[in-house]
Amino acid sequence: MRPYIVLRYIGTVLLLNATFLLVSAAISFFNSDSAFFPLIYTCLIAALFGAFPFIFVPPTEEISNKEGFTIIVTSWLLSCLIGMVPYVLWGGEFTLSNAWFESVSGFTTTGSTILTDIEALPDGLLFWRSATHWIGGVGIIIFALSVLPSMGKVGMILYRTETSPLASANFRYRTQKMLQIIMFVYVGLTVLETIALMFCGMGLFDAITHSFATIATGGFSTKNMSVAYYGSTAIEIVIMIFMVLSGVNFGLLFVAVSGKIGVMLKSTVIRFYLITLMAGVILATVNIHGAPFDSWTEAIRYASFQVISIGTSTGFATTDTTVWPPFAQLLILFFTLQCACSGSTSGGIKVDRTVLFLHALRKRITMVEHPHAIVKTKLDTMPVDDDVLEASLLYITLYVVIVFISSLIICFLGIDIMTAFSASAAAMGNVGPGFGLVGSAGNFSHVPELGKWILTGDMLLGRLEIFGLLLFFLLRSWK
Amino acid sequence: MIYENPCVFVIFEITSILTIITMKENRMGIRAKILSGFLILATMLLVAGAWSIYELRNIGMSVQKLLQDNYKSIDAAKLMIEALEREDSGILLVLSEKRNEGISIIEAADSSFTKAYEIAQNNITIPGEKEYVGAIKTAYDDYKTLLRQSMAGTTHAGDLNWYFQEVHASFMKTRLAVESLMTLNDQEMYHTASNVESRAYRATMPGVIAIVSAFIFAIIFSYLINIFIVNPVVKLTEGIQNYLDSGKPVEIEIETKDELSMLVSSVGSLIARSSK
Repeated sequence: MRPYIVLRYIGTVLLLNATFLLVSAAISFFNSDSAFFPLIYTCLIAALFGAFPFIFVPPTEEISNKEGFTIIVTSWLLSCLIGMVPYVLWGGEFTLSNAWFESVSGFTTTGSTILTDIEALPDGLLFWRSATHWIGGVGIIIFALSVLPSMGKVGMILYRTETSPLASANFRYRTQKMLQIIMFVYVGLTVLETIALMFCGMGLFDAITHSFATIATGGFSTKNMSVAYYGSTAIEIVIMIFMVLSGVNFGLLFVAVSGKIGVMLKSTVIRFYLITLMAGVILATVNIHGAPFDSWTEAIRYASFQVISIGTSTGFATTDTTVWPPFAQLLILFFTLQCACSGSTSGGIKVDRTVLFLHALRKRITMVEHPHAIVKTKLDTMPVDDDVLEASLLYITLYVVIVFISSLIICFLGIDIMTAFSASAAAMGNVGPGFGLVGSAGNFSHVPELGKWILTGDMLLGRLEIFGLLLFFLLRSWK
Repeated sequence: MIYENPCVFVIFEITSILTIITMKENRMGIRAKILSGFLILATMLLVAGAWSIYELRNIGMSVQKLLQDNYKSIDAAKLMIEALEREDSGILLVLSEKRNEGISIIEAADSSFTKAYEIAQNNITIPGEKEYVGAIKTAYDDYKTLLRQSMAGTTHAGDLNWYFQEVHASFMKTRLAVESLMTLNDQEMYHTASNVESRAYRATMPGVIAIVSAFIFAIIFSYLINIFIVNPVVKLTEGIQNYLDSGKPVEIEIETKDELSMLVSSVGSLIARSSK
């Protein structure tokens, strides 16, 4: 592996960060707010660090898979570090731990916050906060559609469809091709949502920041009450539509946009994703009707927004779900664990793995009934090997074990079970809000410092699909 | 000065990035490459230093504001309260038939009050403070009217009921108005002190960030110098030594297009010529 090549490409990511920091600083400058210096100084550091490798390192056509993987994981970690600098420099509620938490939460598109008063933040910093979601979203898609498929059969199955031919190509070609798709779908969705939100009466600044947070399935709002602040059904419907779209594999979304919508709708994963969301909305509506919502209209309005928001790992809120009946809370907790499709900006175990889990279950039952039968598993038209099923089951098990261990540690720090478990699950799934103290109307400021660091570890583990991060730190495997 | 022209920073920022990016990357000479590294390092430290100086200057101004503006008003308010209390004692003396002694106390206290009031009036620095000072004036004028009545006539001599019902109520009203001014300045002092605390934090953080960044940058800088300058020189030296020892041709691949690649090709030409 050539670390200097890695440095050159990380430089590009830092320059992307610097561009958004410059825009945020410009917003601060025109508003004459206190975030101008923190933003412009961070922009300067990111730009200088980003541009410097270009002077020494010549451009290279060939990049190995390992180099590509290192570029993306390191870029992520470095972006989180750069992202926390404006917060640390600005001060206020941002201690070192809080700034790291907010930055990781932004770049991993989790959307959990430590802020008790979001509206006290200057506009420049609010814009940067939302931009971290958007930049993180781009990173997720490159990671999911371009790097992971090249890392074995499991990746190929999970991030299949149009990306599989790309996976066999070299990193540079894959990245270029993927970036074209991302620029088209990702930017297109962001622009469309911004226009739609403005059409519904939202201001330009709020529309852009909320679009950033929706398309990246992040959840950072510029208001203390999140989307509930606007009290507008039209805004909620627009956000819901774009949340659902952002939870779909971007490769499939690109195919659908290209005119082959049937390909997308025939996908088992997409069908399962949409059916579970609809089932969740119906069950939650029935459960919350009566208490806390008297009318069916209100019940369906709040149930659909909350289920879709959590089910796509976005994390926006229009009501406090901690006062919902236990069944509805457990339903939300299920979506916190599952989330949406692979190849999207969503987090969690992913619908794809749930589908593979169900296939494995069906296969096991058939094998019990007919011990000598040869049972072949297929996902759509693609045959699924046993080791792929096994790897998916292992991932789900490991995922739950990590959530359990971090819940245990957070409980040990003096936090109640519900808060600890839901916070860990929400962090691991990059969802955002949990229940208890960290509910949709609360925040993570009450969590002890060590707990915050553990949760950011969960966020990174969840975002980089556990093995991604583990592999990065297992240096031996690089030799 | 820097804050007054933040555009300079933005323009500097954009131009410095664009200059570096639009440079012919690896076609830059070794001297330019090394110089750019030091320039980047110096820029980071200089900007951090300038920002720290700006924040420290602001701290100085805040402290000055704290001492000169708010403390002056608080001091004036204390003097007004003291004068009011002396006037209150004076009026009681007037009512208890120690007229002359009472009047002289009231006159001296009135003079002190007026002086303190003028200080407060000329030191309006907080939004809304003017209204508070105006309220003191109104309340004190009413109180003074009652003082004059007791000083001038004999109608209220020994009338303690009149004192408690009218004079004392007016005294309390004036005192409350002065205390409100004091509270306002107290709150502003607290706000300024908190501001100083956050500014002190902001003055130190750029330095910390600059030191950490400079340290990381120095590591990257030395790594790149090692890979793209030192290593090729070492390889070239070894290649020449191998040629001298065993006659092996010098075959070194240099990715960059700087003086080193020219040196390698020159050495290659020299060896080829000497072999002939």
